[in-house]
Amino acid sequence: MTDKFNPYLFKYAYGVLLRSFSKNLFIFITLTLLVALLSATLFLSSSIKNEYTTRVSNQADIIITNQKAMQYRTFNLNQLQRVLNIEGVKSARGRLYGAYYFEKADKKLNIIALDEFESYSNRLLDETNTELEGASMILSAQAKNLLEEYYYKEYFNFIKENGSLRKVPIKGILKSKDIQKRENLILMRSELFRDIFDMDEREISDISVTVSNPDEVAFIAQKLEEIFPNAKIALKKDTLVVYERSYNLKSGFFLSIFIVSFFTFFIIIYDKLSGVSSHEKKEIGVLKALGWRVRDVLEAKFYEALLLSLGAYILGTFLALLYVYLFNGAILLDIFLSQNDTLHHVAISFTPSIASMILVFLLSVPPYIFATIIPSWRVATTDADEVMR
Amino acid sequence: MIELKHISKYYEKNIKALDDVNLSFKEGELIVLKGVSGSGKSTILSLIAGLTKPSRGEVIVDTKHISKLADHFISLYRRENIGFVFQRYNLIPSLSVKENILLPLLPMKLKKEELERRVVEVTELFKIADKKESLVKNLSGGEQQRVAIARSNVNSPKIILADEPTANLDETLSLEFIAMIEELKSKNRTIIIATHDPLFFNLAFVDRVVNIKQGKIV
Amino acid sequence: MFLSPEIITVAILDTLIVLFATLAFVVALAIVKSWNRDETTTYQYTLEKRAYLGSIIIKYMLSLKILLFLFYIFTLDKISFVLPGAMCAAGVVNADSLTTPLLFLKLLNLYLFFYWIVIDKEDSEDEQQPYIKLKFQFYIFLYLLLIVEIFLELYTLFGIDVKSVVDCCGAIFSDKDGSYIAKVLEMPKEFLLLLFYGSFLFMWLSKGVQNRYLFSLSNLLFLLIALMSLIAFFGTYIYELPTHHCPFCLLQEDYNYVGYFLYAVLFLGTFYGMLVGIFPLREKREKSSYRYSLFFNTLYTLIISAYPLHYFYVNGVWL
Repeated sequence: MTDKFNPYLFKYAYGVLLRSFSKNLFIFITLTLLVALLSATLFLSSSIKNEYTTRVSNQADIIITNQKAMQYRTFNLNQLQRVLNIEGVKSARGRLYGAYYFEKADKKLNIIALDEFESYSNRLLDETNTELEGASMILSAQAKNLLEEYYYKEYFNFIKENGSLRKVPIKGILKSKDIQKRENLILMRSELFRDIFDMDEREISDISVTVSNPDEVAFIAQKLEEIFPNAKIALKKDTLVVYERSYNLKSGFFLSIFIVSFFTFFIIIYDKLSGVSSHEKKEIGVLKALGWRVRDVLEAKFYEALLLSLGAYILGTFLALLYVYLFNGAILLDIFLSQNDTLHHVAISFTPSIASMILVFLLSVPPYIFATIIPSWRVATTDADEVMR
Repeated sequence: MIELKHISKYYEKNIKALDDVNLSFKEGELIVLKGVSGSGKSTILSLIAGLTKPSRGEVIVDTKHISKLADHFISLYRRENIGFVFQRYNLIPSLSVKENILLPLLPMKLKKEELERRVVEVTELFKIADKKESLVKNLSGGEQQRVAIARSNVNSPKIILADEPTANLDETLSLEFIAMIEELKSKNRTIIIATHDPLFFNLAFVDRVVNIKQGKIV
Repeated sequence: MFLSPEIITVAILDTLIVLFATLAFVVALAIVKSWNRDETTTYQYTLEKRAYLGSIIIKYMLSLKILLFLFYIFTLDKISFVLPGAMCAAGVVNADSLTTPLLFLKLLNLYLFFYWIVIDKEDSEDEQQPYIKLKFQFYIFLYLLLIVEIFLELYTLFGIDVKSVVDCCGAIFSDKDGSYIAKVLEMPKEFLLLLFYGSFLFMWLSKGVQNRYLFSLSNLLFLLIALMSLIAFFGTYIYELPTHHCPFCLLQEDYNYVGYFLYAVLFLGTFYGMLVGIFPLREKREKSSYRYSLFFNTLYTLIISAYPLHYFYVNGVWL
């Protein structure tokens, strides 16, 4: 259909690039850096999104939190049955968790009460290889350090609601890298939890629901709203969407910076190439005198532009991958994550995103080639005899 | 058969290079266009090669009105029929002799064997076969001259145009060049040489000398 | 307003395209107005050079448009995730009543741009350049279509409202609605199949009679019927679900992206087929156009027929 590829012209174009290397170096390096920066940003962004997605996917599809006058309340286990009665609900479970205010340290201790079937806590437990016996607790490294600071090495005294103390021995430390190193996390059995916080044996913090068919989540959420008109119904999907949007915003921000730099660059390229060296003009004039048609010259110039931009793209992408994998996105990552982002000190697994690579390609190679159209055309259509004088 | 009919050529800033010129050349003729620089003789060569178009008049080569053709066809015409030798050779110094010679043929997508064959043919004809792979910048003036002529012949053109070919050469090299031209003439090429080098004016094998002064034939 | 990096990319590239297309438009105007082969003035030579500029810009634009079109479809699919209710691009397409005509316009423009390039080739291979004015007049028309397309594209992309709930393709492509899609789905399957294979045969027959107008027409029919039968019948065998009629879900990973391949083949085949009737081509090109058309269309027919046959072979019954 379209003119077939001419390998000789391609080779010639390659030769021209090498010969005028210094002239093109500035453009090549700038383009490479722009590509690298943009790619790195997008890779980080998509890696962070993926990280969230995997984490969130482990969570329940729907979480129902009880409210009264828009203030948080606990649920009663009885209500669990009403949830289970809804068709399409695979499982529903009451969760028990909360936080203890450690006054002396002015810090919050997050506590998750263990259920034999709670997947999250169980996973953590597995990794510590410790049996959680009746009235003991397991701490995260952070929590352990905090308590030790206040001389609680083997146990801790919780102050109950009625003022009495409950002494709880420390059984082990959570080793999972899943835990944010900054989170003061404690695991303990439900009975112990309820005792400390004076909660009824049928009280639960919230209800987590798993749905058999993911397409039905919205539908079931609707039904839940009918059953619990005052409750807050949070969908897993919504969390993901919020994250997606917030990162889109951030990517968008970086992208805007990129656009501005790119347009500036575009103008520079255009300007530079328009001032085509007389040397090049002469060479093209000679070629035309030797029988090259305008389209042959244009084809060679196209290959030149393609080689340069493609080369910059490949090198830039490679550098970005290197940066993201080898240096774990130092500096840029911190700029990306907001202050209290939960992912701050966790090892993010980086996944190269093909979609991002395509995007960067579209934003680098075609625009560059477009920038060279007019200069190439000017050069290709100069009357060759001007070259003779 | 080359014909220039009522050719006028103007450049920007009202520079009149040619003024109502009428010329014709027969096949196999060797013509010398005699005149000083700026007289318009280079312009005549450019017109015949189709490198530029006349402001007025027509250029007809073998019944083809090349001044009216689109670039696509003029270039094809040039590629198939014209061999050009420039005043300053216009070789690419960083490329090899072979690569320079092949330049006119690159857009043609010929087979590798065919390209090889042609290179061998012209390098042997003009006696630079041993330097095929050397870079042009490492050659002497005389050798470069031979590369330039070889290149102009690689497409076996019917018409050879030379623009001040001996302007930068000493007498020995000029005589060598003339010898090569004689060789080409014997092969029945139509040769047109634009020059003000007196060496050309009294040669036996020159068919005609045309005098050009300030854009007109005198 | 929903700004994903993909949408921003589309916007940037669209801006580039509009800029250069307008440049080509200016060139086209000059040529249509003043081109005269017989004049040998300097201005005519300048026009000839500018014609090259127009040509090359349009060629580059087409290549970019093809890439962008694929990317656009891909973006629609990606956005479907954020729009409540949408499962595939169909939901996004339906989100705005303008998006469906936009899709058709984009396809039409791709076809037309390709035609322009063919005319350009035909023109440049003839010493007289007989079509130079025609092709640029054609481009002027094309330019207007292009502007409409890009305007619509940006308008709909930037206007995506993430709060409004859209239908998923199950609802759009069902037979409950009173829309034309429903009417297509209501047709008896046997009749549709008859039309489909019938138009395929018609194509071969018109090649046999060597009538390029009939061949062109048969390709147009084939294209329309193929799309209808894909939605109503063949699609269900790809999804192995008698109620799944969506033409966009084919493009997703779940089905190995087979949609891209099928559509590419179908569009290529009908493009070449329709080409022969629209324009008097030179012999070599006409021959190869016939060949390409028949090849791709036959390929499409074979592959699409394989799905129901395979299903029957495996399961012993039809859906």
